[in-house]
Amino acid sequence: MTTPHAQQASGALPHEPEKATLEGRNKVLGFWLFLGGEAVLFGTLFATFLTLRNQVADGPSASELFSLPITAAATFILLISSLTSVFAIQAMHRGNRTSLARWLGITVVLGLAFLVLEIYEFTEYIVHDDYGMTTSAFSSAFYTLVGFHGAHVLFGILWISILIGQLFKKGLTVVTAPKVYVSAMYWHFIDVVWVFIFTVVYLLGKVVG
Amino acid sequence: MTNHDLNDGSAVKHRHRHEGPQKHVIAFIFSIILTLIAFATVAAGGVNTAFTVLLLLVMAVLQVLVQLGYWMHLKDKGHMMPIVFMAGGFFVAGLAIIAALYWMWW
Amino acid sequence: MAHAHSVKRHKGLMDWLTTVDHKKIAILYLIAGGLFFGIGGIEALLIRVQLAKPMNDFVTAQQFNELITMHGTTMIFLGVMPVIFALMNAVVPLQIGARDVAFPFLNSLGFWTFLFGGLLLNLSWVMGGAPDAGWTSYTPLSSTTYSLTHGVDFYTIGLQIAGLGTLIGGINFLATIITMRAPGMSFMRMPMFTWTSFVTSAMILFAFPAVTVGLVLLSFDRILGANFFNVEAGGNPVLWQHIFWIFGHPEVYILILPAFGVISEVVSTFSRKRLFGYSSMVFATILIAFLGFMVWAHHMFTTGMGPVANALFSIATMLIAVPTGIKIFNWLFTMWGGQIRFTTANLFAAGFIPTFVMGGVTGVMLASAPADYQYHDTYFVVAHFHYVIVGGLVLGLFAGLHYWWPKMFGRVLNEGLGKVEFWTFIIGFHLTFFVQHFLGLIGMQRRVFTYLPNQGFDLMNLISTIGAFLMGVGVIIFLVNVAISFKQPKGVAGDVWEDGRTLEWAIPSPPPEYNFKQTPLVRGIDAFWKEKMAGNTEMTPAEPVGPIHMPSPTILPFVMSVGLFIAGLGFMFTSDDFGNSLLNFLFSNYIITGIGLAITFGSMLLRSLYDDHGWHIEPEEMNDKGVKA
Repeated sequence: MTTPHAQQASGALPHEPEKATLEGRNKVLGFWLFLGGEAVLFGTLFATFLTLRNQVADGPSASELFSLPITAAATFILLISSLTSVFAIQAMHRGNRTSLARWLGITVVLGLAFLVLEIYEFTEYIVHDDYGMTTSAFSSAFYTLVGFHGAHVLFGILWISILIGQLFKKGLTVVTAPKVYVSAMYWHFIDVVWVFIFTVVYLLGKVVG
Repeated sequence: MTNHDLNDGSAVKHRHRHEGPQKHVIAFIFSIILTLIAFATVAAGGVNTAFTVLLLLVMAVLQVLVQLGYWMHLKDKGHMMPIVFMAGGFFVAGLAIIAALYWMWW
Repeated sequence: MAHAHSVKRHKGLMDWLTTVDHKKIAILYLIAGGLFFGIGGIEALLIRVQLAKPMNDFVTAQQFNELITMHGTTMIFLGVMPVIFALMNAVVPLQIGARDVAFPFLNSLGFWTFLFGGLLLNLSWVMGGAPDAGWTSYTPLSSTTYSLTHGVDFYTIGLQIAGLGTLIGGINFLATIITMRAPGMSFMRMPMFTWTSFVTSAMILFAFPAVTVGLVLLSFDRILGANFFNVEAGGNPVLWQHIFWIFGHPEVYILILPAFGVISEVVSTFSRKRLFGYSSMVFATILIAFLGFMVWAHHMFTTGMGPVANALFSIATMLIAVPTGIKIFNWLFTMWGGQIRFTTANLFAAGFIPTFVMGGVTGVMLASAPADYQYHDTYFVVAHFHYVIVGGLVLGLFAGLHYWWPKMFGRVLNEGLGKVEFWTFIIGFHLTFFVQHFLGLIGMQRRVFTYLPNQGFDLMNLISTIGAFLMGVGVIIFLVNVAISFKQPKGVAGDVWEDGRTLEWAIPSPPPEYNFKQTPLVRGIDAFWKEKMAGNTEMTPAEPVGPIHMPSPTILPFVMSVGLFIAGLGFMFTSDDFGNSLLNFLFSNYIITGIGLAITFGSMLLRSLYDDHGWHIEPEEMNDKGVKA
């Protein structure tokens, strides 16, 4: 078994530092398994949303409620952040810590922008339209599904920020590299979920709602 | 077992040297186009509903495949287990969605 | 390098709270599982006392509802699951020739979250009433309209926390089996118990997130006033049933598959034969897992899904009998012509086979949708699932405990007492549940707290109660046996059954902290047996002796679980009036919840910031003198 610090001591960082140690490879694999479970988690939330999509009771329906421009803006922001996290991993594979940290920083900022839009959207509904969790079965399902995704974005922002700090403190090593790689996987998965959310919740909501 | 030979670094490096940002930028532009088609179709309106639904779902699935295949490297070698378990996750998610769509209201 | 980090080694209680050693975590799981199993068993006995005679008033209807709910929930989630995890922890790393699991930290975290979730759930008994809507917690019965106490909140929050622990454990075992196998151990050379643990872990991964969502929705309905299951605002109670059973049906296969693995190991060892039809066993295991996800709605035949859905789920359910039948015949053919030794473990395994078949047969009966309209919610169903879960899983767990006890503790359980225990338990079991088939068929409904005399129920219920107490006696004999075993000195032979086939028997009992001094080279299926047949007394090493890297003990998993416990408790009481303005303020503003989450996420942050470099065991510190075959 190669221990992380033995690697560090030898100096040179391998090309794919996230897979250089057994611990690193385990971490990446374990995170894939976790994402498989997350797929079921969000799948069940989507199932809940889909089955309750027309159960608006006295509240507004999806097509009355949603505004496409905000959703489009949020979508493009998250899509760009996915690209910047790809660039971050490429910088990591080049062994360029500064570039890696910069791309991660941009990803975090874009994530924050997405979150601000989402919070704005939710407050509009709650304050303006008096449309909350308790309004209807549809509203419960909407806030829970989109809120779960938003909570994931928030967690990702905090996580990646902490990793940027660690990159400066500990450097890019075979210990920090798997953490960065796994956080990038997480970020892509968040975008995957969002693709389904903007399609199923917002766009289909406009079309068939 | 993942057979990662560390001495094999040079070969790996060689393969990756050609993998510049271009490929990912192309994937990104592709995703942007898919997203634009989806939003434009809905914003324009007037298109047959069933067709729109199908189109939106196809756009979404294509974009997810780009994310998973290219950006999360599932298309690369040595990803058998991740593919199996992601597929399993999506399969069970699909079951829940089918149940909720077809066996809930009567 | 190896001497660079010295690690603080804890003693006594701190050692157990901080351990990341899979063998110690196995013991923790066993103790906790045993505790909850005991609580669930006492609840079962109280239920049987109430039902021993007609119009009994031993407990009230409300208490009865709480008892049946907590009996089912405790046994499934907190009783048998951790004992399964105990065996998996104790055995799987050894069987694949690994020094540890893939994620020792997560292994510990999985245990502590499970334990604190379980404690939270059981706290309901002393905090205003246990959950009372059945272990399935169907809405609207479990809504705030019909379930007025905090019972169901304890259920939703407690099971979410415990379920998180189970999910973490599942991911850990998947990764362990995928990446940590010794050289030469391909997937098709893995012992059956490892295979079933692998498939069970995969099912946990895909099933538990679904129930997590279900529990979140139910707790949002109850605590935040959401409307998922509230018909008035457009919700649908059938949604809960679907989500619950999309998890719930795979769950029963999650439970039974490890038992199949245990039986495969025990039957093969004590028949002195390799397992008959190994590859068909693997195939059947995977097929059962796959079909296990496709049949959930057979629990919902009577909800009115319509003939197409009912027919589909009916056929899919009956299909499961095929791979299960393959397994049954494979065990029989393994015994056929073998030099069978009826040790206690093998007695339990042999008792398992016909008992489980009976549960399977009633399962196929229930799979027939039209007939299910008659069986539904009667004692026939109760008899069926106790035949598969007690007659299947629990007998399998006893077989596994007797079989691997020497490996876990270095002491054997007394065979004579073990046999008494087996006969008491299995006779008690059939007395309890065999008659319940007929009680159900003549119309006795489940979950009703009493019945009128002279409906033909009286005698059979009395027999059932007597049987239940006999099972209780069997369990007490087991506990006595355990107590006696701890009077022996530690350290039986490594290959204590002399016919051990798999890698765990190639190392001392109990194994040293690092399991294998040298990672073994696996040259075939039943790796250790193969070496013995080749005249070797121990495994061929795959590496020279060298320092072994070990993970450091840590208290963080324990602290994280405490945080979740506090957060859960805080969330539950957000809208209560405590008659105390400070308490009201703390709870209604989510401050308690926030503190709990801060503890959990703060611990996560600490774990991320401070790298665990681990420590090393030097070759001169390893003092086992090889392994006698």
